[in-house]
Amino acid sequence: MEERRTASLVSAWVAGEGKDGLLGLTRRLTPPGRALLAAALVAIALATAAAAKAADAAKPDFSGIWTVYRPPGAAAGPGRAETAFPRDPPFTAQAKAKIAEYRSLVEPLGLTPGGACVGYGMPSAMLSSGGYPMEWIQRPEQVTVIYEAHSEIRRIYIGGGPSERDVIPSRDGTSYGRWEGNTLVVETIGLKEAVDQSSAHSDQAKIVERYTMGKDDAGRKVLTAEMTMTDPAFYTKPVTATKRWLAVENGRLLPYDCTEPAWEDQLDKLREEKAAKAREQ
Amino acid sequence: MNGTWIATIAALVLLLPLQGFAHHSAAQFNFTTPKPISGTVKEVRMANPHMRLVLTVTDEKGTRDIEYEGHSLNNLYRAGWRPDSVKVGDKITITIAPRKDGADGGYVTKVKMADGQEF
Repeated sequence: MEERRTASLVSAWVAGEGKDGLLGLTRRLTPPGRALLAAALVAIALATAAAAKAADAAKPDFSGIWTVYRPPGAAAGPGRAETAFPRDPPFTAQAKAKIAEYRSLVEPLGLTPGGACVGYGMPSAMLSSGGYPMEWIQRPEQVTVIYEAHSEIRRIYIGGGPSERDVIPSRDGTSYGRWEGNTLVVETIGLKEAVDQSSAHSDQAKIVERYTMGKDDAGRKVLTAEMTMTDPAFYTKPVTATKRWLAVENGRLLPYDCTEPAWEDQLDKLREEKAAKAREQ
Repeated sequence: MNGTWIATIAALVLLLPLQGFAHHSAAQFNFTTPKPISGTVKEVRMANPHMRLVLTVTDEKGTRDIEYEGHSLNNLYRAGWRPDSVKVGDKITITIAPRKDGADGGYVTKVKMADGQEF
């Protein structure tokens, strides 16, 4: 807000024709004076831009491919999710009832959201995502995280993003980031109620993740997220979990098409129906 | 096929029932009684979240087509599968976690090609 107010005052001053405005001031100056003023303004602009660039450059860059952390010496290959979330979470009675109702529907049939090509949703996307890797793309004003499973995408707005009223409730919510030194702090709101993940939550849930980058004993690049989820409707106290990733140098995410088989099945069925009709005629 | 990958896949499969499937309930399959099945590939669809494999199998119950499912395309890719690995008409041996209800079918935990390649 302060930046916008300052910008509006400065532009009013620059456009000002009166003796207090920049245009008014330049008219009263001699040509050498004008040149001096112009040089001073250019110098200020360059210094400001350089300072902003230096501040951005000072932030750690988490960009790249990250996979589930494994201790040194552990086999590479498809990973499984760390069981970072508490095994027996402090659910409220309301949460327990809703989760039990959901499970009574899906468990006899062996159904899961992933089986229906539905993404994990936060915080499961961050904590688990089925053990698949993620890609982190960082710009000063936005971090884009792509979880390979279901090509699930999160956008973390740094110093911007929609106002609370403009947030559309979703499985991954809306995330706002800020830097505290070398730590990226991400707050997520706008979540839909989710009883279909082990880290179930209500639509009142707020998630805070604190991301830091470091190295493990083997000198490998490690990204760590400390997560706290606060949700008085579903939890009797805030729940915390830690998730770690290992950098995959020169790695890449694979595409994750999931809905296509159902579409292909539908087309096959239509072809069969058409062929059956043709046989009747 | 790299032994480390196979060990990883085996570990992954063993852990799945404990972890709960990423995409599937483990309830339908019995992972503690792996069973080898040999047959001819009739249909193969590598896909997410699960691959589908139809084998023409002959055993004491006769000859029939049986549908199986298995890991995701992406996990199989990382285990060594490539688009030209399994083709219709190939004779292969798979290891499955059979269905608990005893019906045909199951969850594929390993594929062994005629040339010995495994994933």
